[in-house]
Amino acid sequence: MHGCLTSCGVLPGALNLPMPPLAATEVGSYAPVLLLIIMAITFAVANVVLSRIFGPRREGNIKATTYESGMDPVGTARKRFNVRFYLIAMIFLVFDIEIIFLYPWAATFPNIDHSTDQAMIWLARIFFFMLTTVIAYIYGYRKGVFKFD
Amino acid sequence: MNPPAFLTAQFIVSTITAIIMVHVVLITVAYSIYLERKISAYIQDRVGPNRVGFDFGLPGLKFLRGAWGLGQPLADGIKFLLKEDYQPRGADKALFTLAPMAIVIPALIGFAIIPWGGTWVIGDIHLPLINWTIPGGPVQVAGAAVNIGIIYILAVASLGIYGVVLGGWASNNKYSFLGGLRASAQMISYEIPLGLSLLSVLLLTGSLIPTRIIGHQLTEGWLIFQQPLAALIFFICILAEANRAPFDNAEAEQELVGGYHTEYSSMRFALFFLAEYAHMVTSSAFFALVFLGGWDLIPFVSTLPIEAAPGWGGFALVLLKIFIYFSKVLLLICFMMVIRWSIPRMRFDQVMQVAWQSVIPLSMAHVVMTAVLVYLDLDTLLPLLLANIALAAVMLAVLPLLPRATANQKVRLSGSRFHPPIGERVISRPTDPTALDEHGVEAVVVASR
Repeated sequence: MHGCLTSCGVLPGALNLPMPPLAATEVGSYAPVLLLIIMAITFAVANVVLSRIFGPRREGNIKATTYESGMDPVGTARKRFNVRFYLIAMIFLVFDIEIIFLYPWAATFPNIDHSTDQAMIWLARIFFFMLTTVIAYIYGYRKGVFKFD
Repeated sequence: MNPPAFLTAQFIVSTITAIIMVHVVLITVAYSIYLERKISAYIQDRVGPNRVGFDFGLPGLKFLRGAWGLGQPLADGIKFLLKEDYQPRGADKALFTLAPMAIVIPALIGFAIIPWGGTWVIGDIHLPLINWTIPGGPVQVAGAAVNIGIIYILAVASLGIYGVVLGGWASNNKYSFLGGLRASAQMISYEIPLGLSLLSVLLLTGSLIPTRIIGHQLTEGWLIFQQPLAALIFFICILAEANRAPFDNAEAEQELVGGYHTEYSSMRFALFFLAEYAHMVTSSAFFALVFLGGWDLIPFVSTLPIEAAPGWGGFALVLLKIFIYFSKVLLLICFMMVIRWSIPRMRFDQVMQVAWQSVIPLSMAHVVMTAVLVYLDLDTLLPLLLANIALAAVMLAVLPLLPRATANQKVRLSGSRFHPPIGERVISRPTDPTALDEHGVEAVVVASR
């Protein structure tokens, strides 16, 4: 990808830092991550299994109740909850996906030639994005989504 | 005979680094729990753990007794292992076991892309028995040298939410349920300003590759000096993401007992704790990578060479870089702990209001400001610093003009001790006859606050 950027002229001169050639686009560079995942899973599972083996086992009727400050538990815990949590989750999706789409923009914008018209369009994009986000934000604010009382 | 294609020098170095660093991080996590107990003890004028040494009760090892309580993490681990792993009635059996695993696995793989030791040019590696020669070259001393470094760490950090939600849901406990809900809402809320403040840094570096971000800071100075406001937002967000005080609403002891891990015991409880501290290590390393120049020693002064030479000299340089990097991480962890024991916890509605009504708008304005400065080619130290100060000044100037939240405020009770009626004569004098201060205050109320 880096090679394409320089040869396509998107990165004129690119970065003049003495950086190593990165051949990290190969799948092989993710192999240590796979190893780490296997180690982490082994660690988690082994710990739970070992405490199962070494720990004592004592059952009891009262012991099996959930903790509710010493009182007998009333009903189930899985009840309806405040709708604000749902609203937060929905707004988070909108914002977070927009931000993720901005990462390629942020990684490329400083590398293009800022005297060209192209750069102006690139700058206009962030302004357009922020405009839409601010409109959505004001709408949400007026609707009371960000109020927590 | 040629080695297989995947067996490059980078692969070997990455694998070794990953295996070593996962152990280093686990030991750091164990001892940061000890450190937290010590720091909190000194802040509260106590001594903290100082009994458990490494003598294991054996008379021959008597000289290892005490040792400033350094054996405490080991004793804690053994204790956790020997405790009963209990599951309350009505808990979702599969999810109850899955939740601590789901929180500890992302915490242990998050730091894979951190370039602990920078770049090392190594010579050809010759494996004698099978007679393979692996060509050397510049390699990165990191768990995984991938192009999408920053995206990877963000993605893995977000996965930790699943463990919190599952733990809260599976416990069948009302405290756990509320704690899980709160924690997930808080974590997803603070992920937005985290991403946005990172964006205004990437606008300067122009790359997602960790090595390039450090390289940029070597030439231009550490980014905390160029983007102090972004660094502040980022630090607030990593505190909130790690559920640390003053944002530890998920496990607010006074109101929610233990939050999402109320019903957990034994090693499954320990995994939750471990994940929290591993998350601290990862986010501190992330902060040091983005804002504190990674392994760079002194800002604005080039002290260490970018590439370490082959051989033992280069290896020593790599070790020095790892040492510097890790010192920064430990300093940040200590800073987080001091914050935890100094600042009171915020109320949940305050936490969410800080996220949605102040930090997110501020970080959006910051991104726009940085984009304009980059467009005008003013992305050097002085203009950026001035612009950050100007934005902070504008924020402080606008703050009194914004509408104030009226909810959740103390209701003024006219005629009470705190709000006496106007014109009343108020006498304030210690009622205790043995009180040292005998000077009472006597005044007439002229205005109510």
